Amino acid sequence: MKPLRDALLGAFTFFASPLPHDVCGSNGLPLTPNSIKILGRFQVLKTICHPRLCQYVDISRGKHERLVVVAEHYENNLMNFHKLCKPVSPDRALQIAYEILEGLEFMNNHGMVHRALCPQNVLLDCEGNVKLAKFGFYHMTDGGADVDFPIGYASYLAPEVIAQGPVHSSGSFQSKTPCLSGPKTDVWSLGILLFELCVGRRLWHNIENSECFKFILNLGCMDDIVTVLAEEHGCLEVIKELPENLLTLLRKCLMFFPSKRPTPVQLLGEPVFGHISGLTEHFHQPISLFSSGLRSAHLQLPDDITSLCKDEGKDYLSERAIDEVYYLWCLAGGDLEKELINKDIIRSKPSICTLSKLILDDGQSFGQGRDRSFLLDDSTVTLSLCQLKNRLKDVAGEAYYPLLEDEQSNLPQSNSSSELSSTVSLPLIIRERDTEYQLMRIVLFDRLLKAYPYKKNHIWKEARVDIPPLFRGLVWAALLGVEGDIQAKYNGIDKDTPIPTDRQIEVDIPRCHQYDELLSSPQGHVKFRRVLKAWVVSHPDLVYWQGLDSLCAPFLYLNFNNEALAYACMSAFIPKYLYNFFLKDNSHVIQEYLTVFSQMIAFHDPELSNHLNEIGFIPDLYAIPWFLTMFTHVFPLHKIFHLWDTLLLGNSSFPFCIGVAILQQLRDRLLANGFNECILLFSDLPEIDIERCVRESINLFCWTPKSATYRQHAQSPKTTGDGSSNSSSSFDRTNIYLYSDYQDFPKTDLSREPLRLSELKAELSPRISAEDLIDLCELRGSSHFKTPNKRAKVGKPKILAVDIRSPEDFNRGHISGSINIPYTPSFGADGEPVVFPAVTTLSAYRGRLIVVLSNMVKNAVMFATQLVKMNYPRVCVLDGGINKMKVTGLLTVPSPQI
Amino acid sequence: MKRSKGKINVSEKDFVFEFKAGRQQCVLKIPLQFPVQDNINDLFGRFILLHKIPCFVENDLKTSLSNFIERETNENYDRISEQALHSLMNGEVDVGELTNVWAKAYCETTLEHSHPEEPSWDEDFADVYHELIHSPASDTLLNLEHSYYLNISELISERDMELKKLQERQAAEMDTVMQELGKMFSDHDVNAVASQHFDAQQVLESKWATELKQLTGIQKQEYQEWVIKLHRDLKNPNNSTINEEIKVQTSQLSEAPESSSCHYEEQRQLEESFTIHLGAQLKTMHNLRLVRGDVLELCKHRRHGSSGVKLLRLQTALSLYSSSLCGLVLLVDNRVNSYSGIKRDFATVSMECTDFHFPRLEEQLDIVQQVVLYARAQQSSKQREQPDTLEQPRPGGAEDKNKTVDRNPANILPGEFYITRHSNLSEVHVVFHLCVDDNVRSGNITARDPAIMGLRNILKVCCTHDITTITIPLLLVHDMSEEMTIPWCLKRAELVFKCVKGFMMEMASWDGGISRTVQFLVPQSISEEMFYQLSNMLPQIFRVSSTLTLTSKR
Repeated sequence: MKPLRDALLGAFTFFASPLPHDVCGSNGLPLTPNSIKILGRFQVLKTICHPRLCQYVDISRGKHERLVVVAEHYENNLMNFHKLCKPVSPDRALQIAYEILEGLEFMNNHGMVHRALCPQNVLLDCEGNVKLAKFGFYHMTDGGADVDFPIGYASYLAPEVIAQGPVHSSGSFQSKTPCLSGPKTDVWSLGILLFELCVGRRLWHNIENSECFKFILNLGCMDDIVTVLAEEHGCLEVIKELPENLLTLLRKCLMFFPSKRPTPVQLLGEPVFGHISGLTEHFHQPISLFSSGLRSAHLQLPDDITSLCKDEGKDYLSERAIDEVYYLWCLAGGDLEKELINKDIIRSKPSICTLSKLILDDGQSFGQGRDRSFLLDDSTVTLSLCQLKNRLKDVAGEAYYPLLEDEQSNLPQSNSSSELSSTVSLPLIIRERDTEYQLMRIVLFDRLLKAYPYKKNHIWKEARVDIPPLFRGLVWAALLGVEGDIQAKYNGIDKDTPIPTDRQIEVDIPRCHQYDELLSSPQGHVKFRRVLKAWVVSHPDLVYWQGLDSLCAPFLYLNFNNEALAYACMSAFIPKYLYNFFLKDNSHVIQEYLTVFSQMIAFHDPELSNHLNEIGFIPDLYAIPWFLTMFTHVFPLHKIFHLWDTLLLGNSSFPFCIGVAILQQLRDRLLANGFNECILLFSDLPEIDIERCVRESINLFCWTPKSATYRQHAQSPKTTGDGSSNSSSSFDRTNIYLYSDYQDFPKTDLSREPLRLSELKAELSPRISAEDLIDLCELRGSSHFKTPNKRAKVGKPKILAVDIRSPEDFNRGHISGSINIPYTPSFGADGEPVVFPAVTTLSAYRGRLIVVLSNMVKNAVMFATQLVKMNYPRVCVLDGGINKMKVTGLLTVPSPQI
Repeated sequence: MKRSKGKINVSEKDFVFEFKAGRQQCVLKIPLQFPVQDNINDLFGRFILLHKIPCFVENDLKTSLSNFIERETNENYDRISEQALHSLMNGEVDVGELTNVWAKAYCETTLEHSHPEEPSWDEDFADVYHELIHSPASDTLLNLEHSYYLNISELISERDMELKKLQERQAAEMDTVMQELGKMFSDHDVNAVASQHFDAQQVLESKWATELKQLTGIQKQEYQEWVIKLHRDLKNPNNSTINEEIKVQTSQLSEAPESSSCHYEEQRQLEESFTIHLGAQLKTMHNLRLVRGDVLELCKHRRHGSSGVKLLRLQTALSLYSSSLCGLVLLVDNRVNSYSGIKRDFATVSMECTDFHFPRLEEQLDIVQQVVLYARAQQSSKQREQPDTLEQPRPGGAEDKNKTVDRNPANILPGEFYITRHSNLSEVHVVFHLCVDDNVRSGNITARDPAIMGLRNILKVCCTHDITTITIPLLLVHDMSEEMTIPWCLKRAELVFKCVKGFMMEMASWDGGISRTVQFLVPQSISEEMFYQLSNMLPQIFRVSSTLTLTSKR
């Protein structure tokens, strides 16, 4: 979005038509409220950026179907000329006409018409350039169908609009279907507008509306509308003195029949504008982040580079984009409704005064007086930026232009930035509401994203601190490595031809995150359908499983105006975290996943695991929707965002940790309850504290050896030449280790080997690879292994290797630091394994990561199982046993004195 | 859910595109529907895919396609608009009527063109009062209200005394008459005496009623004038006398507490509160409370004095014109009056104190009665217009209902309710008078019962009119009777709990998820054991949120 500069933020409000009581749509679901329809249709307006159009910024829903729209605003408009009560010079009039037409043409290219053109809506910026306001009113209200009031202003309505009758009318006009207006209706309005400017007075100013309409309709019988109008308003002389070209323009605009009236594009090509169009620069849409074009191809530096640097004492805030400023305004305590109430635009009566007297059994109400506060008053209120500027007055100018190149900046930090670094330690929820902090993050991320993909690593680094909500969609795309001309790819997918999955998608969408305004709007449904279909069509080997809709929801919500990006993010997300989950037969993938998950529960929380196993409450009963939708089916969107901010930074085994963290929050209730209660508990999952969940899952993740979550059905190693390995040269290596997948590492002899599902299911504790053991025990010096020292120092789990071979074997060679607890499985009379006394020696090490080594894996597994039964956390088994270690030559023989 | 666009507006045109591939001359011909619904980019992508268009003509195809669509769309618009214009010029459509419809559309919906509003005294007073009650003057206001209340109760006790005296005298008289029955007096005489007594009682009652009405009228007027004056004076900062007046009044009126009201609180001791979360993904928090008590206890105005009574009163006054109102569901029969049963009791309670803001209950009911008649007239005229709707089966036997309506259009039906507003009740601003029939006493009502559907409509009104606290009689009765056994109570409570839960889930889509308080009221006469059974049932039906543990385990 363009910078604020000298623009203001303006807000206006209106009501959507209320729905009749308890009416259902054809699908049997309640109708969508009109305000939500409008909210959905509004979104696209945010993407319409043109210097002649006022930028739309935001829309919000209030009580009782109220909507408040925020847009770029200027105090000056064409009414100023009318206040002077004298004609505008012909040249100025032509200039204004040209600029209005530019705006109209751009809108028409996006399939929109203004329909509410009037002097109040033609704003003038400080340089006197035209900015059209409320240009999206007709579009967002679906041609006026979703509001009670007519769109447009009586004296500027084109004759055909009047002839078609108002959208909401009773009597004989009701039967006709509402007709949408074309671009030419605006040309008529422009004609009237210009006429008024040229003669310096308003038409039909003090006349009853109905008379005005009659007059306009009668113009059809006249030959020369301009002259008739001039005669009627007694300004024939003024008209006669106008230059011929302007008169021709007026005549062309004020053609009664639309077929004879030109469109805005045609008018722009008229010779009358010849000299103006030569002078004005033509507007080029900036190239988006994801496109095949070169973003900086047209970058031009001024000849004198110092001219860029001389903006001393400038208002840096106004150089930020409009939506950023508005976002900060809201954070700094801006309240739209309050501003409107202060300006007396919102006049609500106390609710007790508007109660109806009688409600019938079908919900019809009677005895409620007409409430005047519901009438349309569309005047725009300027939102004062004082409070925001005051809040940000201490932010240094440098903060608006952070340097990205040297990452370990040694520049002296200003006071504000040191304050900010203390903010980082505050909870996320507080940081997201902190104006200064968000300003910093927004500025930083804006710059980083502009440099994407070159600054990809830097984005990763900063995303680990937090992600500013305003840029979450793009940052996620960056984290998922979305690149290239996604729009072209998306356009190339056939999203229209019916496919068999359509029915299921149609059923699922109206049930997916519908509490959210965007996703429940009809526009949201359309986009949902298109993105889902595009994914299904473009992945012929995969199928639509219920849950894909939930998975799509966060991406669609964040990239509502960019379906292609939503699609690209989803397509990048699924192979990373849900590889092959959407196969037609996905049972082996899911079964393996759930088994690893139950091993993770046993690994981190043996007590809970023992209890759940005892009552038979296995993950299959509750965790499938968790993982299949990556928790999007379980949590509301705002929680998903915080969860995924971290999830996207982790690798594909991170979801296990989230799962365990959720279980831990419910631990007390689960432990206290039996099977039935647990089922009930999970059927309606209680509130989960998501920040705690994220914190704990990171902690769990750090305790989990990489290979413990090995799955043979996970995504196979990426081929070289893929994005991540390309960038590894500049990527600092810790990141690779922490955040890339186990599967991404080259497979060696010491890696884990696939197990059959039945074997895997039989084991309570996870296995880890010899590699991991070597790494965790630091058996090899840091010199020739790829783990950097830095990582070793930060929070490496304390490990204890338990060798359960016989003492003789142990003495022949073992891992340094390991302890020997000889163990041969023995069973008591009841068939239960006997608890052996040596285990008690382990109690001193409770809490450490315990790796069980043996030459017989079976024994090791049994030993580990016993430890878990005794509630030892973090027990795992060395995959392949001690034999794997033998080949490494890392076993040591104890010195003779022992 | 797209608006049905009439068939007349849809037309089909062939898009033709020619290009050369090597020596071959190719022609692409595609029928397109106008107005075009799809995105041009998608359409284009589909063509490329479907017709295997070579990439070197892609750009040409795109320009030519978008030009074609633009041209045809404009032509389409022109055609439709001119149709409308021509039908107007042919006289098919009456110009006068059309312009009137337009003028009406503007006049009814926009502030600019609407008729200016006549200033409403009620709303002005509401603003003034709301401002004052949120100022230091609130204490004075409450004290003034209380002193008026004391006057009324004095009058009422006088009335009661006199009525009692009369009744005693009459009883004595009747006794003597009865003793002499058959001797001096005949049956006829007894009847005469009885009717004479009755008349005397009526005369006395109506005398007091007029007096009461007069007094409340005077009080209301005085009060309102005083409030306006106070407000005006407070606006004027250099007027200090009023501040003193406030002080003086405060000291005058903070008189010694009277201890008569203590027993009220003791009676209501049985109550239990729950916090619940509702919703699948996004959860809304609500508060539930189960209370054993008499429904009118929520209404009864009490004397200041005992701790909390005045605060409670202040709380109610503060929120009167706010967006957090308190509502109460009162179960009534099908007649709109206050002559019998709970209606009479409620009327008595509402009379105990002057309503300084809203019309007296009687007047409100008169208006409701008129609205009922109007609604019936509307309904029947609608039914006459659309006779086919009658044939649709309506739940609960539409025909029976219609017959009842035919019999007396002034009555309301089960499931319908009327609303009265009050400023003089202790904890309630809005009363929903929900009509129920004898059906609710039987054990087998379902979720489709009109009374239950009435509750749903009540909750809906709560959403649209900012009623954040609502009290519902859990068993759908105000008094217990013999047929209401323990299983009956449990069954009924379960039904109402479950239905209200369903409605509350629905509520999130009505108001976007606002936290509310729902109080379930059970009659005073149920046993303590029963109460605890019900309070055990509640958390099983609603998911009670987990307790917040402040100590961390690790």
